[in-house]
Amino acid sequence: MTIRTDHVAGAAFVLFGLLIFALSGDLPMGRLSMPASGFMPTLLATLLIVFGISLVLRAGESQDLAALEWSDLKHAVPVVLITAIAIALYTQLGFILTMMLMLLALLVLVERRNAVRAAVYAVVVVLLAYGLFDRLLKAPLPTGPLGF
Amino acid sequence: MEDTLVSLLHGFSVALQPGNLWYAFLGCLVGTLVGVLPGIGPLSGISILLPITFGLSATQAVIMLAGIYYGSQYGGSTTSILMRIPGEASSVMTCIDGHAMAKKGRAGAALCIAAVGSWVAGTFGIIVLTLVAPPLANIALRFGPPEYTALLVLGLIFLAYMSSTSLLRTLVMACSGLMLGMIGIDNMTGHFRYSFDLPELGDGIGIVPVAVGLFGLGEILATPSRTVTGEVIAPKFRELLPSREEWRQSVMPIARGSVLGFIIGIIPGSAHIISSFLSYALEKRISKHPEEFGKGAVAGVAGPESANNSASTGAFVPMLALGLPTGPITAVLIGALMVHGVAAGPQLVNEHPDVFWGFVASMYVGNLMLLALNLPLVGLFVTILRIPYAYLYPLIIMFCIIGVYEVSHSIVDVWIMLIMGVVGYALRKFAFDPAPLILGLVIAPIFEQSLRQSLIMSNGDYFIFLQRPIALGLIVVSAGLLLLSAISLVLHRRDWRAKLAQAEAGDAT
Repeated sequence: MTIRTDHVAGAAFVLFGLLIFALSGDLPMGRLSMPASGFMPTLLATLLIVFGISLVLRAGESQDLAALEWSDLKHAVPVVLITAIAIALYTQLGFILTMMLMLLALLVLVERRNAVRAAVYAVVVVLLAYGLFDRLLKAPLPTGPLGF
Repeated sequence: MEDTLVSLLHGFSVALQPGNLWYAFLGCLVGTLVGVLPGIGPLSGISILLPITFGLSATQAVIMLAGIYYGSQYGGSTTSILMRIPGEASSVMTCIDGHAMAKKGRAGAALCIAAVGSWVAGTFGIIVLTLVAPPLANIALRFGPPEYTALLVLGLIFLAYMSSTSLLRTLVMACSGLMLGMIGIDNMTGHFRYSFDLPELGDGIGIVPVAVGLFGLGEILATPSRTVTGEVIAPKFRELLPSREEWRQSVMPIARGSVLGFIIGIIPGSAHIISSFLSYALEKRISKHPEEFGKGAVAGVAGPESANNSASTGAFVPMLALGLPTGPITAVLIGALMVHGVAAGPQLVNEHPDVFWGFVASMYVGNLMLLALNLPLVGLFVTILRIPYAYLYPLIIMFCIIGVYEVSHSIVDVWIMLIMGVVGYALRKFAFDPAPLILGLVIAPIFEQSLRQSLIMSNGDYFIFLQRPIALGLIVVSAGLLLLSAISLVLHRRDWRAKLAQAEAGDAT
């Protein structure tokens, strides 16, 4: 049997629905005349499971999973990792340092750009953004241990 | 009518004050840039600038933020026409024929038609808004929970029916969005749901991190820089005027797009996106030369561009008259008004006439500003678009982080944005449209509340939706749309939506 994209997607939605049921254990359902906080999630989880099964049943119309193009993962994975590290450091190191490092990492490690040009670009752009938001627009950005 | 004119004149006296004019100009300029730059939409633009409006008056804040919204509809067409990359989601359809016109040496004409169409549609939308919003606010007082429930169901079904992917895929995405909207405190009972002891999740998942993640970051992850050619077709200034024949071909599509866009704009959902798709389909269907679509049809630019601008104005009707957000952007605008102690809704016209009429009048002025801005500044936009994507997307990620963080200074929101970015990437891989998910998230609280209130009112009897005329009418339309979809499904008949989806896919490759 050929596994198709909608087999995987449908199964994921069924699992999502089941997960909601599992997490909704302590939520009261109430009665139909007085629905409580568990009513709507249960309704939605049921619909998700039904739609998920329907997707699986109609999966023949979808693309072959093996034919799915994943070459952009080489770009997506490092971008996600670098962004995640930047988010983790954002409130610790502050806006200026974190964003300079993030831009530098994206340009040098992911895009293989010249390190000096990338550094100049990162410094200029981040300082401009800092000036614009923090100083001109008075929208406070996180500060690091050095006070900026 | 006389009262409306007097109020509108008062609105102009507010909108034409130098301070308000400045913020309208600023909003329009930023909006145009937001629309021009691929990967950053009006929602990200509004989110990023939301915190800086806290120091402004309510009128100035809403004038500037709304300017970003409708300005982005203008700007989005520039990137679509010159680069074949939608600067904004609602400009997807303009890519097809706008860029085809550009390749035939008619880039200037396409830009001019898009700008004039946007201006006509925007102005038409504001005129109707001026006339419709105040009386609608009175009618809205008669809407009860069953009518709201039926209206929202119709919105969802309508969105699913219009989807060029499939009814099932749209509904499953909308359900996922509704489910995300269940996170946080249940307003009716005070129960915490799925918040995992995180206080930040107590108020629920914000629209901004989800939308910025799905649309901003998700798009970046799915777009490796090597695939973006950065080839921009630069029109010459003297080529900006369309020929007499091109004007003739664009008149009716602009008129139809204006009316259609406004009507769709009132319906909950990503109206400005749907309206441009629908307008394109309509123009193609009624055209005497449908074979020209995809190869530079003027109607393929004029219709969708008018429709998305008119829809962005139409979306303000339920926002101002009913206090109902029809999409994430109007939801953020309502939030911006609330920060200033102004509640959008039926009472806005009477309690804050300066805000209401000043805002309405500013849109007349803003649309003129945009027409004046867009054509002469094409050269500047071309220069901006020539920045290599490899340098541009790290900048967009930085703006995404700033925008999401600044809304409530919560790092949890930024993590949600990242997770949603990954989800958005996966959804694109598996051919799911993330827009219905956002709609589900936006309408989740009001949908749940009105459904539960309806059941309480009827003592658990679902027939309440069939016993009230307005609700019944809305349910009948929903059922009709479902029936039409079911017929296509059973007969395996390819209707215009399937054909449109195939045309888009074929054209995209």
